[in-house]
Amino acid sequence: MAKKSKTSSGRDRTRSRNTTNGSTSAARMNRLTSKSKPSKLILRAYQVGFGDCFLLTFQYRLKANKTEERHVLIDFGSTAKPIDAPEDLMLRVAEDIQKTCKGKLHAVVATHRHKDHISGFATNDKGTAPGNIIAGCKPEVVIQPWTEDPEAKRNATKPTKVRRKVNAAFLASMGYMQAVSSSVLAEARHLRLGPNPNLFDQLKFLAEDNEGDKNLKNKSAIDNLNSMAKENFYVSFGSKSGLETILPSVKTHVLGPPTLEQSEEIKKEARKHEEFWMLQEEFWMLQADAGNGMRSDGGPLFQGFQSLYSNMRTPLHTRRFIRQLNNVRATQLLEIVRILDDAMNNTSIILLFEIGDHKLLFPGDAQIEDWNYALRDAPEKEREKIHALLEDVSLYKVGHHASLNATPHTLWDMFRRRRDKQPRGDLQTIVSTLEGQHGSQRNRSEVPRKTLVKALKKGSEYFSTQELNGDGEICKVFSIDL
Amino acid sequence: MAYQYRMQKFTIIAQDPSVRSKKNDWPGGDIQPPISWAGGDEEEAILTAEVNVPAEELAPGPRGYRVQVIDYNSSTGEIYTPVEYKLLEEGKYCDPFIGEPDAMLLTNPTFHAQNVYAIVMKTLARFEFALGRRVSWSFDGHQLQVAPHAFADANAFYSKRDRALLFGYFPRRKSNSQQISGGGNGEVLAFEGHTAKMEWVFTCLSHDIVVHETTHALVDGLRERYTDPSSPDQAGFHEGFADVIALLSIFSLPGVVGRVIDLGNQAGGDSQRIALENLDAKALRKSVILGLGEEFGQELDDSVTGIRKTALRRSVEMKPPAEMVPPQPADYYTKQEEFKEPHRRGELLVAAMMNAFLRVWCERLKRLGDAPIPGANRQPARERFLDRRRVVEEGAAVAEYMITMSIRALDYTPPTDLEFCDFLSALLTGDYEIRPDDSKYNFRKTLKESFLAYGMAPTSKYGGDEEGIWEPPNHSLRYDRTRFESLTRDPDEVFRFIWENREALGLEEGAYTRVLSVRPCMRTNPDDGFVLRETVAEYYQQLNIMGDELKQYGIKTPPEMPADFTVTIYGGGSLIFDEFGRVKFHVRNRILNPERQTRRLKYLWEYGYFDPSMAADGGDFYGGRRFAEIHRKRFNIFPGMLNKRRSINGEKIENEQWA
Repeated sequence: MAKKSKTSSGRDRTRSRNTTNGSTSAARMNRLTSKSKPSKLILRAYQVGFGDCFLLTFQYRLKANKTEERHVLIDFGSTAKPIDAPEDLMLRVAEDIQKTCKGKLHAVVATHRHKDHISGFATNDKGTAPGNIIAGCKPEVVIQPWTEDPEAKRNATKPTKVRRKVNAAFLASMGYMQAVSSSVLAEARHLRLGPNPNLFDQLKFLAEDNEGDKNLKNKSAIDNLNSMAKENFYVSFGSKSGLETILPSVKTHVLGPPTLEQSEEIKKEARKHEEFWMLQEEFWMLQADAGNGMRSDGGPLFQGFQSLYSNMRTPLHTRRFIRQLNNVRATQLLEIVRILDDAMNNTSIILLFEIGDHKLLFPGDAQIEDWNYALRDAPEKEREKIHALLEDVSLYKVGHHASLNATPHTLWDMFRRRRDKQPRGDLQTIVSTLEGQHGSQRNRSEVPRKTLVKALKKGSEYFSTQELNGDGEICKVFSIDL
Repeated sequence: MAYQYRMQKFTIIAQDPSVRSKKNDWPGGDIQPPISWAGGDEEEAILTAEVNVPAEELAPGPRGYRVQVIDYNSSTGEIYTPVEYKLLEEGKYCDPFIGEPDAMLLTNPTFHAQNVYAIVMKTLARFEFALGRRVSWSFDGHQLQVAPHAFADANAFYSKRDRALLFGYFPRRKSNSQQISGGGNGEVLAFEGHTAKMEWVFTCLSHDIVVHETTHALVDGLRERYTDPSSPDQAGFHEGFADVIALLSIFSLPGVVGRVIDLGNQAGGDSQRIALENLDAKALRKSVILGLGEEFGQELDDSVTGIRKTALRRSVEMKPPAEMVPPQPADYYTKQEEFKEPHRRGELLVAAMMNAFLRVWCERLKRLGDAPIPGANRQPARERFLDRRRVVEEGAAVAEYMITMSIRALDYTPPTDLEFCDFLSALLTGDYEIRPDDSKYNFRKTLKESFLAYGMAPTSKYGGDEEGIWEPPNHSLRYDRTRFESLTRDPDEVFRFIWENREALGLEEGAYTRVLSVRPCMRTNPDDGFVLRETVAEYYQQLNIMGDELKQYGIKTPPEMPADFTVTIYGGGSLIFDEFGRVKFHVRNRILNPERQTRRLKYLWEYGYFDPSMAADGGDFYGGRRFAEIHRKRFNIFPGMLNKRRSINGEKIENEQWA
């Protein structure tokens, strides 16, 4: 049976895929009409350690005191669980999601491809992995950023317009960057630690988060996301969200990521940017080749000339230099994966749910660059509308686990429902994070960032998943009357 | 006792492993052919050369008194066998790589070690010859460490912090794979039991890259403050200057030059003669551009790797604004936003220098006689030819002279806040001092015109002995309390002189002042053997001052800069003493110069250089790895991440972060 996938422009394309019988879900879907209004929203913020997992349950009252629920899962991933959490934490979370939605999810949103947002979608052959459980809930639609659209990559390679070439180059670069990340991990194992022991930990953390489909588990998660639903939506700023029929009377605004065409700079200097993105693609391809070459070679670079020494017992005059060079290399690799990490964060979907007086903002890991279009570069009228929405946000899922560069000051200053702005301020903020995993206090980049947390606590009803006991409390439930 | 040789020859790759020649087309001269040609006349071989470097006692590496090759690969954790030389009976080292086949050269890391060692030493020797003295590295220590296979990355850079030159390697793109002589499928070669996959591009085998990075290290040793945040010119100077030296170094290899000089031109010629039509500046520029593209190997195209080879080509292509269609004002390039980026800015310097080089070369060729066809009557102009070897020799001679001139000019530059116009005055002064009569080849006249064509006039408006050279000091200085002999070597003595004469020299008394170096030197005029003895002393000044305090000195701060924001400003001077200990020149940037400091602050503020997270230890802006950082930052990927630290819609991104 053919499945539909849609681009952000809404054009239909068909892809052949095996599906199960969807008649039960169709019947369920048909009980609501376009005029149905949700009466309550239950938000579950799951304790997954360093990662994100939120289940939104929209309750619609039907006749005869019955309710219809629509369940939207936003992200499900982690790169580090709390110390006291059980080993099978993610499995327990998946089971809780399954139980809560009674075996039926309506939508899954994977804001971007980082492991701490998608690792939970990984599957195994036995069908017992958390991802298998989520897939078993048969979501109607999976929503991902436009950068994940396989059709975009294919279409973008057709000649000859600048925009297509630019998109193709950009998308190819993203792919190569993930290959680089994978090879960084392989190379990092060879590095003997230099003067900075944190360097290796940071490197490993970021590289693992960014491996993409080069890591088998990540690949299974990505494949699962692309196949678990009847429809796949790939969204960008201003596009349809894919939730229009699933959530009647809920306006879901997509505020990011912008496409390349939407960038002001692209519009001004298209030809220059074509060259720029071509160069980007070639650069990252070269970096990926270097890393791949290392692994695929297996043997040494110069067979017959390799190391005569093992571990640290190198000639005396070389030891200081070797430590320095290892440090140099680790720093280089860290910079590369940071660029990659930032780029990937900036592909995050930014969703704003508007239901009556309530506006809920879920920006994934969007950083300042991702926000730029919505905050500054969009056409004036559009921008004014967006700003009006943002000013009225009542619940803010803090971006990128409360890092220093994912809650722009401009955005935070816009929120007028902050309680440090008005006595009746009712802004709720939620952070899903785990201290000690990312960044460092020394260079003021620790996650969560101290100064941001202070401002969040001062200006809102603040909640962090760190407050949850990893073993007993699997999630925090917020109930919002609509 | 065996005769102590002063020079030692080593085989190097003349330009790049992708630059090859067939047996029949072998250039000869200083380019050594392989010992044996297994494939006959149609076989191609990599162009190699033998270079002379100062002889020394070498430890395995090779490790000498200035350069230590430590062949550690941080991507694989391996150390490769160091090269160990056998001493011949006559006291020289035996070069094991003379005439060796390509397979050996490319798969043997000990050859790579020799290659980098020899090119670094050759470049160092060039600097020492030009300056007439030893040249120190900028770090504490005498030996620069060099890693020919430092990491699997398309990158190569100088690191002051690590006291090293680091060269990367990366896979050759499949479309550019070449058959290697002796190979089966071109992928795996066997040579004396050593095998390696022949798919790698080694930056350590690219002559101009090694020269470029070595030049960074040497300039850093001579002018350590040139890595301070300052102006687009200073940011671009390191890159541009290193490109100039690298490019001219290639032109000083006749065998390489001979291959490029009539590329792409239609006029006839043969292996012995070059058509005159191919030898005007325009034609030479065209063939040089094509030649650079071919000679430099596509894998190392700078646009991808950041190893600026396309920049060299682009620099030569960059027309003087007056020649553009339609013609533009001379300052056309400097007003473009893209030319505030260090690499692009540096290309401007290269353009001016290389265009001057081509013009001088052409001028010299005009004075050569024709090479007529034997037995024929005198040909019409369009059918006249010159002897190819003479043309090539002239090009090499001009290149060699310009290298010397450029290096020598460094002694006559201010130690802080350099602008290209300062460098031009320094070029003119340095050459004038050693060779007052410019009439033979008009080097200085041509340089002035070339720089002017790009909107750069000499800083000095002195119209005395020669226009554009630095003006001798016109104030009287006290010498009676300083000791001449100490003045030629002791920084404290020089400081005493500076302090005694601070008013006359225009120093700011309240600023921190330090003498950075005192360097006696002896330079020789190649034309007549005239010897010039000078002592070059460098001092700098530093002030930490608040924004609102600058106003009283006429220095304007950016409007967004808070009144209590503390900035560091620099000034300094180079004092050139003659052989009698008298100041000949005082080349300086006054620390409280209102125009220069206002420009500097505006530029640095706009580009986010005052962000505390940008500064690293010891006042060194990027923590001693500036050159690696500059390459990498060009490749941030995402709309809006372009030039990340620039203002967007008037607001800086940094303000959005939670500091």
